[in-house]
Amino acid sequence: MLESLASLVHGFNIALQPQNLLYCLVGVTMGTLVGVLPGIGPTATIALLLPATFTLNPISAIIMLSGICYGAMYGGSTTSILLNIPGEASSVVTCFDGYQMARQGRAGAALGISAFGSFIAGTASIFGLILLAPTLADFALKFGPPEYFALMVMGLTVVAYLARRSMAKALMMAVVGILLGCVGLDPITATPRFTFGILELADGIGIAPVVMGLFGISEVLENLGVLNKTEVFAGKIEGLFPDREDWRRSLGPIARGSLLGFFLGLLPGVGAIVPQFLSYALEKKLSRHPERFGNGAIEGVASPEACNNAAVGGTFIPLLSLGIPSTAMTAILLGALMIYGLTPGPLLIKNSPDLFWGVIASMYIGNVMLLILNLPLIPLWVRVLKIPYSYLSCFIILFCLIGAYSLNNSTIDIYIAVTFSLVGLLMKKFAFEPAPLVLAFVLGPLLETALRRSLILSDGSLLIFLQRPISAAFIIFSIVVLVTPLFSQIRLGRGLSEED
Amino acid sequence: MKKTKITTVGASALFWIVVGILACYGATRLGLGNVTEPGAGFIFFWSGLILVILSLVVLADSVRSSEDTVREMQELNWAKIALVLLSLLLYAFFLERLGFVLTTFVLVSFLLSCIEGTNWVRSLGVASAAALASFAIFELWLKIRLPKGIFRF
Repeated sequence: MLESLASLVHGFNIALQPQNLLYCLVGVTMGTLVGVLPGIGPTATIALLLPATFTLNPISAIIMLSGICYGAMYGGSTTSILLNIPGEASSVVTCFDGYQMARQGRAGAALGISAFGSFIAGTASIFGLILLAPTLADFALKFGPPEYFALMVMGLTVVAYLARRSMAKALMMAVVGILLGCVGLDPITATPRFTFGILELADGIGIAPVVMGLFGISEVLENLGVLNKTEVFAGKIEGLFPDREDWRRSLGPIARGSLLGFFLGLLPGVGAIVPQFLSYALEKKLSRHPERFGNGAIEGVASPEACNNAAVGGTFIPLLSLGIPSTAMTAILLGALMIYGLTPGPLLIKNSPDLFWGVIASMYIGNVMLLILNLPLIPLWVRVLKIPYSYLSCFIILFCLIGAYSLNNSTIDIYIAVTFSLVGLLMKKFAFEPAPLVLAFVLGPLLETALRRSLILSDGSLLIFLQRPISAAFIIFSIVVLVTPLFSQIRLGRGLSEED
Repeated sequence: MKKTKITTVGASALFWIVVGILACYGATRLGLGNVTEPGAGFIFFWSGLILVILSLVVLADSVRSSEDTVREMQELNWAKIALVLLSLLLYAFFLERLGFVLTTFVLVSFLLSCIEGTNWVRSLGVASAAALASFAIFELWLKIRLPKGIFRF
């Protein structure tokens, strides 16, 4: 613990260097902007800016890219509250009560509690990160291929279990994600697999074009000609500081949302989207007046906003301590680390302490910046939202296309992004969730390598996954998760879709 | 109504069954290897097989009940969607041939005027600003290499 604190002080020395402070400010401001804008998210933005960071020092680059991740969580709530359209998928729940509060003339309080809640949760999750990441990294040194394989299987089954609709469909998407993720050269024999003679596919399908298509362009396609009539909240936004009663109602939900978000964010694959639904459902269950939810209850804003921010902190733990990305966003960060010549995994903290502790300290500084900047900048974001959606949609498409192209300078990636925009639209239409697909797409190659190495290690015996205690625990947990719905009609995911 | 829903979900499940079978077929051509030494097609074969099984579960479920089928969505404008997708594919085709600025100018003016119904003068103005500003930001400031095409810009 003392060692961690000393390292954190060292991290602050790095994060407070003028250059790093500047990149942190740029990152959180850009994150908030893309969070505010519906259709373009932090994942697309990170992919878009990644080539521009190649000339930077890796610490400054990761500080900026991380700032985009958590900055977007602050910005997403603004659109949810003022427009009833989530700027981010992880701000969907904030619409339920946030927009109602705005309609009742309490937009200021909703925006205020969402900013303060985000700050408290963000800070708490950074402390969690400081405590857990180094410990987990030490523990992960015991991991071999079977443990990594079992952990990834557990992540995928948990994501499917938490699917808001059909678990079978979520599992299907996870399998499709694995199939797509494994396209390219075989990691052991270098045989081209499903590349159809296209040279660019030898390195596999890039995560950036897939994400740009699935989330960015498909969002615009879905809203073609629909959002023109959307009106931004026109009233004056005042009273950004919540009053004593607001705080009394919100402190418990913020604390519970932070804990829930952080611990669920830790699980590979859960990300920030599912926890906010759970936190909302939890607060509604705990409330003495559940009927207030959906009609402008401040708890319905405070808890999910705290939850999605804490979850982002949580998602950094598997990334920095195990080298396993748990969301598309962290998958691109993982790619960035590798491009900068760093090896993500349990040894990252030991081998690159400046990067690890510098980034953690910058996250704290970034949260303070967001709290100071976010509330005064709300009028500016409102003005941004008043730009006609027809213009915004063109810019979103353009940014997605540039982002898809710029990583490899290949038009094949634009074709992939366009194809996945249609796939994303059809998936929405047929109620297939994209989250398991993206996670499995990211984990697919890692999962395959871990599986094949495990089988080579065990001379073909599948029992290796049950003979080693850590991997056995993960596998048993996965089986329980898979089997539970067969015996119970009451499943969290099913309940949540009814809540919606 | 119920019949339509089952047919739609069933069709999506059938589509994934075909994808799963194709994955299994492709995997066998790549070589499955064996459990001691898995081949290049190993993961594709087993993933394809699991996809087929899961799709059969979804298909059976859709026949048994009409729940959890097609998501209620706002009415999509398929004609506009097709036009946008076509314009994006053409953008990809011409990007390296004609260069970033010109293709971006044409794409944005097309999207604004034909798809969103903005008047031509405004569309051309916004499109020129978008093409030049994005070139300045990405190519000149952020040093991201954008294609120059035959006109060298």
